[in-house]
Amino acid sequence: MKPASFDYYRPSSVSGAVQALADSPFAKVLAGGQSLIPAMNFRLATPPMLVDIARLEDLHGVEVDEHEVTIGAGVTQRHVEMSTRVAEVMPALAEALRWVGHIQTRNRGTVCGSLAHADPSGELPALAINTDADLTVEGPNGIREVPAPDFIRGPFWTDLRPGELITSIRFPVAPRGTTTRVAEIAHRSGDFATVGLVASLTRDGRTIRRARLCGFAVAGTPIRLRSVEGLLPGVEQLDETAGRTLADAAAADLEDPVGDIHATGQYRREALAALVVRTVRSMLEDPQREAS
Amino acid sequence: MIVSLRINGEEHLVDPYPDATLLDTLREDLGLTGSKKGCGTGDCGACTVLMDGRAVTSCLVLTATAEGKSITTIEGLSTGDEIHPIQQSFIDFGGVQCGYCTPGVIMMTAGLLADHPHPTEAEIRSGLAGNLCRCTGYSKIIDSVNAAALLMEEASE
Repeated sequence: MKPASFDYYRPSSVSGAVQALADSPFAKVLAGGQSLIPAMNFRLATPPMLVDIARLEDLHGVEVDEHEVTIGAGVTQRHVEMSTRVAEVMPALAEALRWVGHIQTRNRGTVCGSLAHADPSGELPALAINTDADLTVEGPNGIREVPAPDFIRGPFWTDLRPGELITSIRFPVAPRGTTTRVAEIAHRSGDFATVGLVASLTRDGRTIRRARLCGFAVAGTPIRLRSVEGLLPGVEQLDETAGRTLADAAAADLEDPVGDIHATGQYRREALAALVVRTVRSMLEDPQREAS
Repeated sequence: MIVSLRINGEEHLVDPYPDATLLDTLREDLGLTGSKKGCGTGDCGACTVLMDGRAVTSCLVLTATAEGKSITTIEGLSTGDEIHPIQQSFIDFGGVQCGYCTPGVIMMTAGLLADHPHPTEAEIRSGLAGNLCRCTGYSKIIDSVNAAALLMEEASE
C-alpha cells in the first residue's frame, strides 16, 4: 500500500497550476485526494507529479443566489453538505452528499474532485447530469464551460484536456416545488452503490409537473431515464399497473447495463426498474416534504 | 521540503518525502503510534485524527498538504492527568474490545460531537460509518458515544 514515487508541487495561482499541468502532461491535480491517493496506493494511478490546488484562494468560493449555486474546486464536500445557504436553495446537494464516502473523506474530498474522478458509481456526477450543471475548466487555451453530460465521457474518463483543471461547478436551482431523492442498492450499507438513482420531482400540489431521473452505477456513465421522465408528468399516484409501466420504461432506458463481479447487467436493469418505482412511489406518498 | 505542523498543541518541523502521509509522519517521525494504519485507503478509519477540528483519515492526507494545520491525535485529546470524557465513556460502556480501531473511533466521535453535540442514534451510526470494528462491537460503541455526549454536556454546564 505505497504509491510509486512522485513530485509534489503547490502553485500559488490557478495560472501556475495550469502551467505546471501543461509542462508535465501526466501530472494530476490534487484537491482533496480522497480518491486519487487510494488509486495511487493501489498503483492504479502513477502520476509523476501532483499539483496541489487545495490552497488556491480563488477556488474556495461558494456563491449562492436564487438561480444557481457555484462551488469552487477547492471546496470540500462536507462544507457544502453543512452549508445552510446552499440547503435553502438546493437541498438536493446535501441529500446527495450524505451518500458520498463518509464524514472523514467528505471533510477532505471536494465536489469538483468527484466530477474529475468520474466514478460511474459516484452520486455527484449523476446529480450534476440530472440538474444540467455546468463545469468551468481552465487550461493553456483559456477558460471554457462544459455541460456535465458532455464532461463525463466514460468510466473515470472526462472531457478534461492536457493542462486543464476544473475551477468550479455551477448547479442551476430547480423550479419551486421540486424534491430530490437519492436511493441506492448496495451489498452493505455504505458500500459503493451497485445500483443508484437520483430522482427529482417537481410537483404542483400532488401532481407531478416535471421529472428528472438519472441512474448511476448501472453503466459506464450516469444515464438519464428519458422514457420514465416522459411518463411521469400528470401522475398523482402510482397504482400497480402504472408502476409496472414505469418499471418497463426504466428497464428500456437502460440500454446497455454493465455486468461485473458485483451484479450482472440483467440484475442491474431489474434492480434499477424496482428502485425507480419504489422511490417515485415513496416521494408521492410524502407530500409534506415541501422543498425546492 | 520542510513542513511545519501543530500537533497536539506543539509546533513540529518535519522533512517528509512527497509520498509521506500524515499518518506516516505521526507514527514514524514523531513516535505518536496511537493512530493506527488499517487499510491505507480511507476505508477503515483507524487512522482518524482531527485536522483544524475536523475528522480526517490521516492515511489519505499527504504531510506536505498539512502545512500549518493544527492536528489533534488520540495522544492529545485529553489535557493534564484527566482522561477525556469520550475515553471515560468508552471504558464505562465497554466500547473497547481489542482496541485497534478505538483511537480512530474516539477521534471520529470527537469530530462528530463538535458538529452534533446531541446526536441521534442515526447520526451516530452514519457518523461512525467510516470506522470499522472487526470485533463487531458496534452496539457498545454507540452506547459509549451516547454516554460521552451526556458527560460532555454535564461538564459544560
